[in-house]
Amino acid sequence: MKRGSFSAIASVAYKEFLHIYRDRRVLILLLILPPVFTLVFGHAFEAGEMTNVPAMLINRDGTPRAQPFVDLLLKNKTFGWRVEPPTVTGEEDLLGHGVQAALIIPAGWSESLANNDPVPLRLYLDGSDTNTADLLQGSLQKTLGDFQQEALVKLIDTLPEDVIDLSKKLPVQVRKQFVSMMEPWKAEGKILYNPKTRFIDYVLPGVIGLILQLITVTLMACTLAREREAGTLYQLMVTSLRRREIVLGKIIPYLVISIVLIIGIILLTGWHFQVQFYDPGALALICFLFLLCSLGMGLLISAVSRTQTQAIQFSVFFLLPVFVLSGAFAPLSQLPQAIRYISELFPLTHFCRAFRLVNLYRATPQFYVEDLIMLSLGVVITFVGAGVLLKRIEQ
Amino acid sequence: MTEPAIFLDRLGKSYGDIRAVEDLSLSIAPGTIFGFLGANGAGKTTTIRMLCGLVRPTSGRAAITGADVWRQRHIVRSNFGYVAQRFSLYRDLTVEENIRFFGGACRVPRSALPERIARLLELTDLKTKRHAPAGSLSGGMRQLLALACALVHDPPLLFLDEPTSGLDPVHRQQMWNLLYDLSHRGITIFVTTHYMDEAERCTEVGFIERGRLLAKAPPRALKASFHAKLLEIEVEPVMEALVRLREFPGILGVSLRSGSLRLYAADPEKLVTEWNQQWPFPELRWLGHRWVEPDMEDVFTAYSQGYDAVLRPAQS
Repeated sequence: MKRGSFSAIASVAYKEFLHIYRDRRVLILLLILPPVFTLVFGHAFEAGEMTNVPAMLINRDGTPRAQPFVDLLLKNKTFGWRVEPPTVTGEEDLLGHGVQAALIIPAGWSESLANNDPVPLRLYLDGSDTNTADLLQGSLQKTLGDFQQEALVKLIDTLPEDVIDLSKKLPVQVRKQFVSMMEPWKAEGKILYNPKTRFIDYVLPGVIGLILQLITVTLMACTLAREREAGTLYQLMVTSLRRREIVLGKIIPYLVISIVLIIGIILLTGWHFQVQFYDPGALALICFLFLLCSLGMGLLISAVSRTQTQAIQFSVFFLLPVFVLSGAFAPLSQLPQAIRYISELFPLTHFCRAFRLVNLYRATPQFYVEDLIMLSLGVVITFVGAGVLLKRIEQ
Repeated sequence: MTEPAIFLDRLGKSYGDIRAVEDLSLSIAPGTIFGFLGANGAGKTTTIRMLCGLVRPTSGRAAITGADVWRQRHIVRSNFGYVAQRFSLYRDLTVEENIRFFGGACRVPRSALPERIARLLELTDLKTKRHAPAGSLSGGMRQLLALACALVHDPPLLFLDEPTSGLDPVHRQQMWNLLYDLSHRGITIFVTTHYMDEAERCTEVGFIERGRLLAKAPPRALKASFHAKLLEIEVEPVMEALVRLREFPGILGVSLRSGSLRLYAADPEKLVTEWNQQWPFPELRWLGHRWVEPDMEDVFTAYSQGYDAVLRPAQS
């Protein structure tokens, strides 16, 4: 690069900083939004499991023998139980009762358990959002299992002596098998990669990516469009500034701001959510490539839009599918295979994957080199594309 | 002979079927104030944009001090300043920041900038507005600032696209005084305008109409090319007379000036003789007539309307 080029780029960069600094609304957006988003999203996804789902309990059995089960149910934090009198009807009208689940203990339930003819509990579930019903049913089943286990233990404890004597006559092998059957069989799990299964650790790259992409793509897309709208682009082009100097000068301020924002978000999540970061070098490289990719995308949008309004519209059209399909907030494996190919086109997908591989899996580069290559490809494609489009405009 | 500051050789630009500029040939000597005159849409802006290397010519070529304006545009660009028709500086930046930015963009050495900025603020009388945002300036001051930004790298050539359009007379005067100062220092000035009185202030004038150059000469020579006598008559009611006279045989055109009608005719003396014998419009009152010198507007009207009968080729 020729001498003088650096100071020309610096002039453009300084001017761009002044624009951002003078536009107080954007400045406030830049300073307030990222930390607020981080805190809100962080807490929003913190629990990762459902609690206090509104539910109603109708106990038509009413006998003291059903009470231990009711007590156990009330301890289950998945449900926010409202105990209704047994006379309540229309239990299928969940919406009318303002609940997502209704559990009915039918009359004579405890007696039926004692009489070797168990009547099932009735459970009504809201299946509208497809996830909730299964989870609620599972949670209830677990409580019921616990109750059954308790009853079993109690039964064994209170067995008459002669039954014990009698059982001793059974062959040892059968007895052992019988005892084994009485205990629930277990799978001993060891959770790897995110041992505390904290959702914030999983979702963090999504949050960083979302905020950065929102800011970099939209703001970058607006910069050139704004110059074109105001007529200043012509004035820029008749100076001896080269195209690459204009583009570089425009990118630098946003790059610097984004890097500051990333560091801010990382410090905030480290301090507030106790997220730990491994291999800062690798993370920095991933963030940097992702940033360049986003800026390139913004530049590309900028090159095809005539006005700022168009630039913002294009940005939204680009960003919407990205947020839904990139696996930033939910695993990609939930998506059908065909859609996953589309996901692979988004920089955010590769950013999140690589970030998680480093920070959760503590993987060696061989595992995420593919994502780095994809991000680098994205940088090249967007920048070359924007360059070609800008050249066409120049004529 | 020295190399022309600007040289156009059959320069043309078409957008599809529309020919914005056609076969434009011109040679402008260094130090000239060249006034490029034409109606809106005549091709002035397209020509200036081609000369600035913003638009690619579709035919012919143009050179600034010998360098091709398109192929060598990156070299050419350090040799001129450009004031666009539309205010195109950064409104959110202050006066000084704007000049400083364009200085940096035009590669003025950092050490030379403070002195340069001070001089330009002095020249354009914007010292007191130094820290005001450009967007808060009045129309006249904005143009002065645009001029300051265009001059920041001390170019030997200046393009101004309708720099005085929309300015009040005081600022127009100030702008022209500045251009004289610059011309005096040897800067070549290429200025477009549709104010005919401004053409008189140029050392050379070119008329463009529908993309074609009609004439190019110093203002005096252009006026001299108007060979017929110019008749001005007093008549009442004037508006009706304007409409009726336009249709009168032997009259090429009529224009209204300060309440009198100017008649463009190949042989106005014959008309006066005839009218003295018999005034053909009983409903109009003829109050008198006089012979006047053509001004630039008359010349331009004659050229642009094709009143060839009143013109002879200008001697440039």
